[in-house]
Amino acid sequence: MILNLEIKKLKRTGYLPAFLGGALLASAFPLANMLFRPETFTAMPGNPFDILMDANWQMMAMLNTLVSICGACMMYHTEYADHGAQKMDVLPIHAGSTFLGKSVIAAFMLAMVTAVEVLILAGCALHWFPDYRPDTAELLKNILGSILFQWTASLPTVVLMLVIASACKNMWVSLGTGVILVFTLFIFPQDNVVLSLFPFSSPYQTLATAAENDRIFLFLGVCAAEILVFGVLELIYQKLRRCVE
Amino acid sequence: MNIIETKNLTKTYGDFTAVSHLNLHIRKGSVYGFLGPNGAGKSTTMKMFLGLTRPTQGSFRIDGKTYPSDRVSILKEVGSFIEAPAFYGNLTGEENLDIIRRILGLPKSSVRDALELVGLSQSRKRLAKKYSLGMKQRLGLAGALIGRPPILILDEPTNGLDPAGIHEIRTLIKSLPRQFDCTVLVSSHLLSEVELMADDIGILNHGRLLFEGTMDDLKSSAHDAGFPTDNLEETFLAMIDEDNRKRGGRA
Repeated sequence: MILNLEIKKLKRTGYLPAFLGGALLASAFPLANMLFRPETFTAMPGNPFDILMDANWQMMAMLNTLVSICGACMMYHTEYADHGAQKMDVLPIHAGSTFLGKSVIAAFMLAMVTAVEVLILAGCALHWFPDYRPDTAELLKNILGSILFQWTASLPTVVLMLVIASACKNMWVSLGTGVILVFTLFIFPQDNVVLSLFPFSSPYQTLATAAENDRIFLFLGVCAAEILVFGVLELIYQKLRRCVE
Repeated sequence: MNIIETKNLTKTYGDFTAVSHLNLHIRKGSVYGFLGPNGAGKSTTMKMFLGLTRPTQGSFRIDGKTYPSDRVSILKEVGSFIEAPAFYGNLTGEENLDIIRRILGLPKSSVRDALELVGLSQSRKRLAKKYSLGMKQRLGLAGALIGRPPILILDEPTNGLDPAGIHEIRTLIKSLPRQFDCTVLVSSHLLSEVELMADDIGILNHGRLLFEGTMDDLKSSAHDAGFPTDNLEETFLAMIDEDNRKRGGRA
């Protein structure tokens, strides 16, 4: 029920078009790269899918993160702009259910965006690399593995952004905080394992790089733990808020 | 029988005491007028009843239930309107009420009922952000009245309404205990309004309850204390002045 309500609350906010636009914009990046300078990539040795992923994912992940930040801000702006959140607080629902509903929606949208982008990358590899003819099973494994990994690596960022947006009644504060975090953590070196595990930094990791360093399960485990920690943090925040308000 | 009772209810923010050792007794089926100047602690008390803020000390019971253990079951019984109308501006009036209806598990007809009750049926398809201030106020009231809850907590419900709207809402509030067998706790700055609709009143100043009882009790108590009793406004102002003078003297 809470999920239906949260979807209903997003009516006329531009949330879905924002994510669709973000997905299209991010997908246009590898397409433009292949249209205007295909030789740069086709001349490189290795798996074409991994080549394109390495070449484009940094920019695509940054766009995904920025869209997710905007999405989190939109979600909580509808709550705070006309005090809708206050009405929810006096209705018989659990304090954390609104956050949970929003997290599920944001996670679903991120999955959709990631899937579109990975499919575009796979399409580019198949179209521009004539020798790249993997069998269906291998291609599916590549695509699904990448979607799952990139999605999981980005989820802590999305959940943390929702925590930030839920704590800031002024949308511009949460938007500014998100943007500052994006650019601050973007400069973290990706070869440092600890720094690359931070939210806002982990989305830039690719499956191929993680596999090369044997860190796939480390990433998945740490990201899952981060999501859990941020969820608990939000619940604690909700309880504390009642004490100080 | 009292449906709402507080025992030494206190709320402090740092060294500022918003509500101090409040002992309220609200009879079932009555309209209880909560009076007090700005910053007296009326809204804070109402917020504590709704679990929006946690009491620093003391406790309260609503229909035999206590906070925080029975928070959700208290909220199932209470319709509320606190400080300002709360809604989603991107949704229509009808959609806003539908969200509340779904959470409360009410039938679809309850949305239409609530809209009719506050006179918003014609504008139900308009976006709430495009409503006038009075219409937003009515939408907030509809959100409190939906499902006809047994207890209503209304903080300044007539703010922003024109005289005709004030009269309409006042008549509605006054009729609620008889019509829906509910209890209403209503705060207002409009003393004449409270005088017209409340069965019992509580007067709060600087977080302390100066008086609680019926209008007749207030008149006799004011008469005994030498305060004017011609109308509630004069009695109220005299009581507040006296209390402020005493507080000033103590300080």
